[in-house]
Amino acid sequence: MRALARYLIFLGPAAVVIGFFAFTMSVMVRTSFAPSLGPAIVGEGYTLSNYAQFVGSSFYLGYLFRSMWIAFYCTAITTVLGFLIAYFMYRSGPRTRLVIGVLLIVQFFTAYVIRTYAVMLVIGRTGILNSTLLDLGIIQQPLSLLFTEFGVAIGMVLVSLPFMVFPIFASLQSIPPNAEMAAASLGAGNTRIFWQIIVPLSMPGVAAGVVIVYLFELTSYIVPGILGGGYVDMIANLIYAKAMQSFDHPFAAAAAVVTLLVSGMTIYLLQKSFRLLSPRT
Amino acid sequence: MNPGVEQVFPPQGFSLRWYANLANRHGFIDAARLTLILAFVSTIVSVVVGLLAGVAITRFSFPGKDLVLTVLLSPLIVPQVVVGMAFLVTLSSLGVVTSVISLAILHCVITLPFAARVIVSALAASSRSLEEAAQSLGASPARAFLSVTVPMIRPGLVAAAIFAFVTSFENFTASQFLVWDRTTLPVELYNFVQTESDPTAAALSSLILLPVVLLVLVFNNFIGQQMFSRK
Repeated sequence: MRALARYLIFLGPAAVVIGFFAFTMSVMVRTSFAPSLGPAIVGEGYTLSNYAQFVGSSFYLGYLFRSMWIAFYCTAITTVLGFLIAYFMYRSGPRTRLVIGVLLIVQFFTAYVIRTYAVMLVIGRTGILNSTLLDLGIIQQPLSLLFTEFGVAIGMVLVSLPFMVFPIFASLQSIPPNAEMAAASLGAGNTRIFWQIIVPLSMPGVAAGVVIVYLFELTSYIVPGILGGGYVDMIANLIYAKAMQSFDHPFAAAAAVVTLLVSGMTIYLLQKSFRLLSPRT
Repeated sequence: MNPGVEQVFPPQGFSLRWYANLANRHGFIDAARLTLILAFVSTIVSVVVGLLAGVAITRFSFPGKDLVLTVLLSPLIVPQVVVGMAFLVTLSSLGVVTSVISLAILHCVITLPFAARVIVSALAASSRSLEEAAQSLGASPARAFLSVTVPMIRPGLVAAAIFAFVTSFENFTASQFLVWDRTTLPVELYNFVQTESDPTAAALSSLILLPVVLLVLVFNNFIGQQMFSRK
């Protein structure tokens, strides 16, 4: 009996909180199978019509595929840039590292909404980017970056960078310094050292970063919302619109479940492939 | 990239009127109040709950520990938009009106995994031998824990609290499903950015940004270059 009380006290509260979570998720799944009888009216019984509607329509599926595609190339760019920044930090002296580190950490504590808004200010018509380019004479007219996929992509990369840099940097830091020296003493040139020692050993960090960033970008609402202004809606925007504007809960729930499944599968596949790419430890 | 919100337009001269405007718009002040309440509540809840659960996971022995930890961290892998959606649908189907309580529960659910993750790793890294030594000297398990282990993991607790607070404070995507007359600060800011174009939003962002930058810089002076120097 005393043992039971112990478990209740220590694990009980967590069970309650997670219980709320599990309950809401199951209601959502249940709702996705409910017939939608008009705005804000959810019927009894079960049906696959919401899923059929979602999967069967190239319009709705398009949101999903477009999100997957945007997230894919944005993650790729973020990975390359993130690796460069992390590597630069790795090779820099303590003061540079501190400066970059502080810049990155500040972003962790700044809300996505604020950071995305900052990007909007920079790439807007009257923003710093356009002002600079105009002043330098590189362009004659301000670039119209907002409300385009390009602008959204820029925002995605900038907002996701901190999540990519830190895991990669952590991985780089865990490379034993002797490894490079050993390779050099065996006659390996810098390029070889880089590609055959550093990159493979940084893979765990890259893998972690890619998973985090891809998932974040795939289901991002804020970046396409602010920088896309309705023209570059992604899957998260669709779910919100269907739920809060059309009040079609069953359909939105079905879309959400599909998104969840896609996210889960993506995590699984990404982790699987990175495990294959990592050197055997 | 730099989150610095500098000037919106090439500055037409400096003026503090946008900051003053903030005070005039009650929407922002009320939103700020709600956001702070939610952040404090969910921080306290998730740190306490996370600590209790963390103790169980790292100190007790029972089958399925890994599973428990995974379940505890499960909200992390669910996209924000799905979590918000789930809460909305649940409230709607139960016929419950959204309120501060429902928002608070949402925030607790979202912040708990963050806090728990930090606390569990802090607990796992802390050596049990000190705690056991205290017990062998006659302290009760509870006393040993409170006087020995808790101070040892204090940095972890602080970190967990900070993570939880920040996560709740800035939460937008899930929270926007559960706002009604009252909104949270990020939601209010988002709506403002969508509909209006004066630099008031920039003023607000700077206000939020400044303490963060100061905090990080101050932290660095204490922790020093430990974070980034080579081992």
